[in-house]
Amino acid sequence: MLAIGLLISPLLTGVLAGLCSKYKAADLLQVIGSFVTLCLASMIAVQVFSSNSINEFDDLIYIDALGSFNIMLISIVGFAAAIYSVSYMRYEVQEKVITRRQLGRYYFFLHFFILTMLIVSAVDNLGLLWVGVELTTLVSAMLVAFYGTQHSLEAAWKYLIMGVVGIAFALLGIVFFYLSGLNAIAEQPAAALQWTQLFKVAAELNPRWVEFGFIFILIGFGTKAGLAPMHFWLPDAHSQAPAPVSAVLSGVLLNTALYGIFRVYAIANVTLQGHAGDYLIAFGLFSISVTVPFIMVQHDLKRMLAFSSVEHMGIITLAVGIGGPLGLYGAFLHMFNHSMTKSLLFFSAGNIAQKYHSKYIDRISGVVKAMPFTGIVFLLAAFAVAGAPPFSIFMSEFTIMIAGAEAGKLWAACTFAALIVLIFAGMSYYVIRMGFGELPTRIGKKPTDWWMRVAMCIPLSLILLCGLYVPEFLEKAIHTAASVLQGGGEGLGQ
Amino acid sequence: MDSFVTAILLLSTLFLFRTKKTIDAVVIIAVQSAGLAIIALLMWQKTGMLHLFIAAVLTIVVKTIVIPYILFYTVKKTKAQRNVERTMGQFGSIFIALMLVVMGQYVASHLSLPGAEHGMRYLGTAIILVFLGTFTIINNKQVLMQGIGVIVIENGLFLLTQAISYGMPLAVELGVFFDLFVAVVIIASLSFRIHSAFHSLNTEKMQDLRG
Repeated sequence: MLAIGLLISPLLTGVLAGLCSKYKAADLLQVIGSFVTLCLASMIAVQVFSSNSINEFDDLIYIDALGSFNIMLISIVGFAAAIYSVSYMRYEVQEKVITRRQLGRYYFFLHFFILTMLIVSAVDNLGLLWVGVELTTLVSAMLVAFYGTQHSLEAAWKYLIMGVVGIAFALLGIVFFYLSGLNAIAEQPAAALQWTQLFKVAAELNPRWVEFGFIFILIGFGTKAGLAPMHFWLPDAHSQAPAPVSAVLSGVLLNTALYGIFRVYAIANVTLQGHAGDYLIAFGLFSISVTVPFIMVQHDLKRMLAFSSVEHMGIITLAVGIGGPLGLYGAFLHMFNHSMTKSLLFFSAGNIAQKYHSKYIDRISGVVKAMPFTGIVFLLAAFAVAGAPPFSIFMSEFTIMIAGAEAGKLWAACTFAALIVLIFAGMSYYVIRMGFGELPTRIGKKPTDWWMRVAMCIPLSLILLCGLYVPEFLEKAIHTAASVLQGGGEGLGQ
Repeated sequence: MDSFVTAILLLSTLFLFRTKKTIDAVVIIAVQSAGLAIIALLMWQKTGMLHLFIAAVLTIVVKTIVIPYILFYTVKKTKAQRNVERTMGQFGSIFIALMLVVMGQYVASHLSLPGAEHGMRYLGTAIILVFLGTFTIINNKQVLMQGIGVIVIENGLFLLTQAISYGMPLAVELGVFFDLFVAVVIIASLSFRIHSAFHSLNTEKMQDLRG
């Protein structure tokens, strides 16, 4: 029943907050709704990690450790974004960028968007997983277009067309998997799309079709995950969406698309006897290297953060491609760290962009003087995302490098290290320029709203904590989630 | 009957590269979807599988009636009847489309997929539809025509699953229909907003975001 509650809660929240005519009540309602979602997600996580995976409604709903891990990330970032939206959107209404009436529509789409990502993580059937990923594109395109300006419509259209066409190719890949599944499990056609069943018979699947299918799915879901060279929509969409939406897009939507790739990869890697990892390493390294020039020469703050997301998706893909217990542990630790750090960074960047009325790096300086709280959080988060110790991203990047060296892929680990050093240099140059320097006279001192402070403290506390040491429950959860990809995920207690 | 439907599918889709009116493209989508429904009905008649019948009924309701109606309404409201603009000229477009038809047949004959008994003959057409849909999106500069390209791709994939395995499990099939419906609603709603922001549906005006 928990799983049903998890899906109903964001739906109800979205509909009620969208219809509610008392504005303060709507604000509060959607915060409470997303808190309920977070509580349900935690209860599911406790159940999944302590005993066994959830399987309901004739195998329609299936949540194992990997799914539960993703659901936790979605609901934490979703909750923080819901809190942050209250104050961010109040400011937009005050500045007459949007009307109060539009805000209801925003709440509806935001929570519906969270629902679609939860669906992706809570199904067993690869076809339904595809349906969920397609829905995330459609709903989030409306959020990207929310401001209705020329730029936001351009970004939304590009996103919609690239996303839908890319995902159509993923469906083609899933058809190939279905075909090979039908061949292997002839007696139950309905089971031939189920991940658990396909994974059991992975060694008997036809390698040629599986390789075909895997490449199509990698390209298709890779478009959504922002892997280069299919990443063109990403900086546009992230820079034009409202800041809380950018945080959700970057923090968890990209993870959700990667989640789809990894599910399929787990099957393909068994069928192809370990060769599927090479594709992931190639795409991962290419994505990291493509972003270097765009981060080093960038004039738009939110675009810089978006390119950094492409880089981090590349790192996670690379780590899964390297594989082995250490590589997978590093990958999922990095997924967690990136979700928290990047959403924090988008929250603070959104705040800065609102106060300076600009996203252009040249026009932003003296942030720490103007907004002490936001400024310091921004600096911390930016250094964390660039990979400076003692923050958590440093830990996971280091783990991935060691995993690469241990797996005998020293060249991959070295290229990776060289590239992130360049990115670190580029990012810290711009961040220091924005953080310090002269305060423009037109900008007065502005205290940060309490809603925003609370929203930023949630991910901030997690990244500070994980930079020093990874708590035992998190470490265990990540190991369990990673073991799903290695075939040990059939529930710990079973 | 089978070859007749296939011919109608191919000819109507090729006509997409000749027409100058968006409204014609909407009619083509409706005809194409009706063809898919007939194919599903023919297969149902031969195999007696109930879910083929359900798929056929859904295709008629969603793809031949509801979706063309939404598109028709959008075309009328945005006054986009006559402004199909392509990157390539008419000769170039039709030439590449024909090449894609040949390539699709070639690919289909070399894939050596173990298709379903009554579906195999449609494999080539399905792949051609996917190719032509993609080319429609690349070639057209007008947003509604790009949206129509998306529908052609989806139609091709639908036919492909029918050809290989008489369709996907019913739950997935329903999900795909729902997605396509939502996609068309969102394409229409974005077209309205693009029209009111740019006073045009041409994507050439939307090239500001770079780097």
